[in-house]
Amino acid sequence: MSMEGKQIPIREGLLTTPLAPPEKVTLVGSKCGKCGEISLGKRVQCSNCGASRLEEMPLSKKGKLWTYTVIRHKPPGDYKGPDPFVPFGLGLVELPEGIRVMAPIQADPEKIKVGMELELEVYPLYRDENKNEVMAFRFRPV
Amino acid sequence: MKEVAIIGAGIHKFGRFENKSYLDLGQEAAQMAMKDANLEWKDIQMAYLSKMYLPATSGARILKPLGATGIPICDIEAACASGGIALSQAILGIQSGAFDVVMVLGVEKMPRGFMDPSMIYEKWQIQMGMDTNPSYWAMRARRHMYEYGTTDLHIAKVAYKNHKNSVHNPYSMYQKAFTIEEILKSPLVCDPIHLLEICAPNEGAAAVILCPKDKAAKYTTQPIAIAACVPTNAYYSADFRAPLDSLSAKANNPGPTEVAAKKAYEQAGIGPREINCFEVQDTDAFCEVEITEQLGLCKFGEAGRLLDEGVTEIGGKYPINMSGGLISKGEPIGASHLGQVFEVVQQLRGKAGKRQVPNAKVGLAHVLGAGNNCAVTILKR
Repeated sequence: MSMEGKQIPIREGLLTTPLAPPEKVTLVGSKCGKCGEISLGKRVQCSNCGASRLEEMPLSKKGKLWTYTVIRHKPPGDYKGPDPFVPFGLGLVELPEGIRVMAPIQADPEKIKVGMELELEVYPLYRDENKNEVMAFRFRPV
Repeated sequence: MKEVAIIGAGIHKFGRFENKSYLDLGQEAAQMAMKDANLEWKDIQMAYLSKMYLPATSGARILKPLGATGIPICDIEAACASGGIALSQAILGIQSGAFDVVMVLGVEKMPRGFMDPSMIYEKWQIQMGMDTNPSYWAMRARRHMYEYGTTDLHIAKVAYKNHKNSVHNPYSMYQKAFTIEEILKSPLVCDPIHLLEICAPNEGAAAVILCPKDKAAKYTTQPIAIAACVPTNAYYSADFRAPLDSLSAKANNPGPTEVAAKKAYEQAGIGPREINCFEVQDTDAFCEVEITEQLGLCKFGEAGRLLDEGVTEIGGKYPINMSGGLISKGEPIGASHLGQVFEVVQQLRGKAGKRQVPNAKVGLAHVLGAGNNCAVTILKR
């Protein structure tokens, strides 16, 4: 008898919980109580000032593209994207909290532009060996 | 502080060598350096191996067959800047008085194709497809184009120049000139970077032998002084080499090249405009554009103009990558900085043949790579 798997994050500490419904999930930032800098995901110390008083907070879902490239060949290693491979955008998305997050850009590669408005999408990337849905993130045009 | 000099330099051509092991590559470069320094393996008191992809104890495996003299042999890794940090350790060892004659050897024999991403990235970054190394360089290029108006043609001009220089370098993997059109029509790897604008991981070795400058005359009539050797890692959010997951939009720290170069200029007591030749990290052609600015050869955003004016060609005021750069030589990571140092030593000795910068007296070598590791070395004749 097979059990229905649950949803799990692609990396612990990166996404808010619960993971359903995905529209309500955001990226997690760790805000430093001393210098105010925000790092992506759960952290043990602030990589700007070294302070260990960090507060986890949900990050905004909307941002602007700061820079990008187009990945024209299948990335090396255990890539879980579409097979056969489809070229995709990869960029740094600037969020209002003052952090730029590296993420795949779900848009026609020929229409990606620096400065375009984007919105976070949390989605199931693949099923693992325990049939869990592994939830990843990307940004798409608003 | 005690001054240190290079008394010998050796190299094994960079490229692909199916019938040679990394032991062969390393031993050939080491022997060439010892011959150049007019000394023997028994004279070496300490040896460092700079490497990233070779297995554990590679230094001992390469060097012990030259004679089991019982000296310490240490492997060092700092990604593309491995050679810089190995060199600085050797200098510190001499300055401390612990050793007089030290070998720094760089060797690499890398797998074909993309480098194994698990060496650098976390599992989730690989699964989401954020582990193509050129993508990080490409994103830097795109932002520079957006901010300063740098063009595809500027980037192609770097590749054009470096491929052109490589024709005269027998130690380069590729020794072939390409037209601007051929470069811009080569396939896009990660927009806006084309295939002919990217370096290939490969195989090779380079070595130098150091001793206190006041003892150099015992070994050579052409010692080259190490005026500075500064390894560094980037300040917070100051660089975005792989394996980045985010950057601060508020921090405004100087990049690792700026930091290392500033310290190196202070140590050497000179500025960038008093340096006659440069070998810099051109993992991709855009990388050289940015480094030209970060070394202080022009203001930010003006490297494109320098390229248009031919300033960085061998006949120009600030020749960059006379050897053909990594774009032509390939990048055997552990050997790349020592390969640059080998080239600068040839330039300062006036032995660089058709790629010679006339009357070069001071040269600079620069590396930068994964984990934001960086190093700047300045040599003087």
